[in-house]
Amino acid sequence: MSKRKAPQESLNEGITDFLIELANYERNVNRAIHKYNAYRKAASVISKYPFKIKSGAEAKKLEGVGAKIAEKIDEFLATGKLRKLENIRKDDTSSSINLLTRVTGIGPAAARKFVEEGVKTLDDLKKVEHKLNHHQKIGLKYFEDFEKRIPREEMVKMQKLILSELEKLDPEYIGTICGSFRRGAESSGDIDILLTHPDYTSESPKMPKLLHAVVESLEEIGFITDTLSKGDTKFMGVCQLDSECSSFEFYHRRIDIRLIPKDQYYCGVLYFTGSDIFNKNMRARALDMGFTLNEYSIRPLGVTGMPGEPLPVDSEKDIFDYIEWKYREPKERSE
Amino acid sequence: MPEIKIQHVVSCSSEDLTYKADNLLKADTYRKWKAAKPGEKQISVILQFEKSEQIHSIDIGNEGSAFVEVLVGNSTCVKDQDYEVILVTSSFMSPNESRNGTNLNRVRMFGPDKLVKTNVDKKWDRVKIVCTQPYNKSTTYGISFIKFHSPPDPNEVLKSSPPKLTKLGQFIVKEEEQGTPPLKPGSIFFNKKPQSSPTSINQNDKPTPSYAAASLQSIGLRSNSSSPVAAEKPASLAATAPKDSTPGKRKFEFTKERQAAPPPPTKKQHSQDVEESSLPKATLTNSVPKKTKGETPSPSQNKSPKEKKMASKPPKSDVVEFHRILEGTVFVLSGFQNPFRADLRDKALAMGAKYRPDWTPDSTHLICAFSNTPKYGQVKSQGGKIVRKEWIMDCHKRKQRISYKHYLMDGAESSSEESENEDGITDEDDDPPKHKTPIKQKVISPSVGSAKSKHNKVSQPAISEKPGPSKPMESNASRNPEDNHEMAGSSDEDQAGNHAGSESDSGMDTEDELRRVEEQNRKKMQDEDPYGASTDENSDLEESSDTPDVNLPIPELPDFLTGKHFLLYGEFPNGERRMLNRYITAFNGTIEEYMNEKVQFVITAQDWDDKFEDALIENANLSFVKPRWIYACNDRQKLIPHQPYVVVPQM
Repeated sequence: MSKRKAPQESLNEGITDFLIELANYERNVNRAIHKYNAYRKAASVISKYPFKIKSGAEAKKLEGVGAKIAEKIDEFLATGKLRKLENIRKDDTSSSINLLTRVTGIGPAAARKFVEEGVKTLDDLKKVEHKLNHHQKIGLKYFEDFEKRIPREEMVKMQKLILSELEKLDPEYIGTICGSFRRGAESSGDIDILLTHPDYTSESPKMPKLLHAVVESLEEIGFITDTLSKGDTKFMGVCQLDSECSSFEFYHRRIDIRLIPKDQYYCGVLYFTGSDIFNKNMRARALDMGFTLNEYSIRPLGVTGMPGEPLPVDSEKDIFDYIEWKYREPKERSE
Repeated sequence: MPEIKIQHVVSCSSEDLTYKADNLLKADTYRKWKAAKPGEKQISVILQFEKSEQIHSIDIGNEGSAFVEVLVGNSTCVKDQDYEVILVTSSFMSPNESRNGTNLNRVRMFGPDKLVKTNVDKKWDRVKIVCTQPYNKSTTYGISFIKFHSPPDPNEVLKSSPPKLTKLGQFIVKEEEQGTPPLKPGSIFFNKKPQSSPTSINQNDKPTPSYAAASLQSIGLRSNSSSPVAAEKPASLAATAPKDSTPGKRKFEFTKERQAAPPPPTKKQHSQDVEESSLPKATLTNSVPKKTKGETPSPSQNKSPKEKKMASKPPKSDVVEFHRILEGTVFVLSGFQNPFRADLRDKALAMGAKYRPDWTPDSTHLICAFSNTPKYGQVKSQGGKIVRKEWIMDCHKRKQRISYKHYLMDGAESSSEESENEDGITDEDDDPPKHKTPIKQKVISPSVGSAKSKHNKVSQPAISEKPGPSKPMESNASRNPEDNHEMAGSSDEDQAGNHAGSESDSGMDTEDELRRVEEQNRKKMQDEDPYGASTDENSDLEESSDTPDVNLPIPELPDFLTGKHFLLYGEFPNGERRMLNRYITAFNGTIEEYMNEKVQFVITAQDWDDKFEDALIENANLSFVKPRWIYACNDRQKLIPHQPYVVVPQM
């Protein structure tokens, strides 16, 4: 999932925009992940609201919008701006931190450290490149490219390329491009592939070769251009479609490939398809029904609350089935 | 692995008029326990064992439940919270099967590796079974049977393993040196067999892994877990050898035991042995008088883990297995914030302590950050022990139990502290009532019993030379004298004494020793006397043990790997080497230690290696095969072509 969540267009774009901005501020500068989530939840529910919001009181009726956010909405509706946000924007540190966190490999902590050292802009970063780790260097190198959204059309091309490589390598590979793309988004921030193979289960030993073979073949055809990190089960890197036979110049894109044991694959696909808000809701539903759901497994809870054995899952449908929910296509999983 | 006898149903949340919970007690017939009416979300039943037992494995036959969970507790448990999970909620039917009413009677067997580890080692006398079926509101559901088994006797196999598997015998003997409770293939099948009768009645349409697979797995796990500790003390084979015999002697003893199949008759074998030896069979048919039956399972059940513990314990007995360092401690935290709180809790839990969110009557320690927390006040007024977090952290760091006294919050010592365990030694002192219960290998393996008595004979003079020291040593690390004593003599003492715990036990020891001294002079005569009395009986037993197929329900092992020679090459993921070893040996294949011209199959989990090519040049008949082949053979219970599983050079 991308670091940057594209705000969805809606009647209340102004409100959702400032909420998202506040959310990012809370996460990046204050590192208050729960405030971040609260703002995002409010933004999400407001973006679904079919009417133009006229007052904070109106918004407050929605789940996830409380007194404080309603207040801010009132202020925004009345003045067209938000003092808190103005202050944040004025605050040099906050805006610098916010900027630096846009470089992949620099999180809130590293960004704060850099800003405290006086590194506040991308140019500053370039000057202290020796202080950057490999991941951050690549992030800086492709900063502009990575900021660009990936149009769905390009995602489809990459999907086709990757899946055909998998097929060539070993027809038994199963690969799924997850993330917002799978949910039908018109554009994506990066490309996230989940990979499994019937030979590989959570009982079997790690099989890094299954992952590395795929990475190597994608490198060979020139699709993967850089490696950020490569472990036994997860590859993070940079990819680029071949621009030769196209009038269009393709950008470098962030790509993640995760190798997941077959028995955990569908829980993984569900998780990485998101959205994260949908995931939260689904987990809450699972808990209500006496299950615990995570990216690896769904397990029934016993009378003492101890999770039981991972239940056999052979498709995403199975998971919905266990918690007695109607199956929702990826498209319907924005929340 | 004797079946644990269930005494009665304590309570149940709901039962059908016909399919009453009582039916679960009647294992001989195929009956069921079902909910009273359809659509109940959850039903539970509490069963009472005849006595406190360790649960080694559980077999459950389903009757329409989607999930089944098993918890354990003791008669003293009053609240639901007092029960602890031993088998986590396990799936018996998928939602779809539940809705369609298919596969209602799946049977699953859960070995020790499937059970909650911390509760497998303890004794319980109650079990609570919780069934749920959220997916079908129109049928009544429950379970058709449930069986609990206590741990197998570690020695029983020596007798029951077929003689042709000599290779296997050696293999196991080696394991035993490492202090592993030797579980051998024959025994597993023998143990598992009794369950198969109800199983086969069920439509076991989608069975869990075969008996062999399940048990093999469990064994692999066990041995893995115990071997690191055991490695510290290779001589722990002394577990069965007399304590003061010289190494040479030990070895001698050992070889004795190794070929224990035709053991000489022993002295002091009491006629009761005979009666008991017939028990396993008798239990099957449920026709044995209750009293004797009740006595049988527990001793042997106790034996293996305890012996393992003793064996792995070096003479200085303050080395306690890490996960039992704080055993018996029930702690409550106060004033700590996450993530440190979780960290501290995990550390304590890892050392075997129990956690309570709030102070309860059974809590022993409050780990407190400040002396002004509400819990501090509460616990102080109730006289609980209040200690600083460093107690846990230091115990964890030094991997041993440190007296909490140095860590008291206010230095004031509470009244209950005398009973507190200070370290491993006292910790162990708590145990004797458990591990000193009589061990009756003879129940299952009379031959071993007699082999042991041989030890007794050898060691007796030595013991009687210095009766003084021998006793304290007994209460420490060496359990062997007890073994000997119990094996050879206890049955003609009163049976009640066997259960009475350490005191009466050591009392008997002394008596025994006295008698030994007394008898030293007329030892020969003594020897002859009981020998004369018991030889017949004993040889009777051997006769029966020589024909295990007739007497004991050991399923036929297919030996489709006969004449095939295997080499296990390279690294295998945890425990897999052992599994393969066991499978191959079980199916009568031969495992070669080193590459030689006899080897036909190299089983390897690795990819093609250049060395393989070299090996092929040496021996063109070699095939390099993935372990999956062996598993596949096991699944089908026949030899299947290895070609689909060969390892080939990579392009």
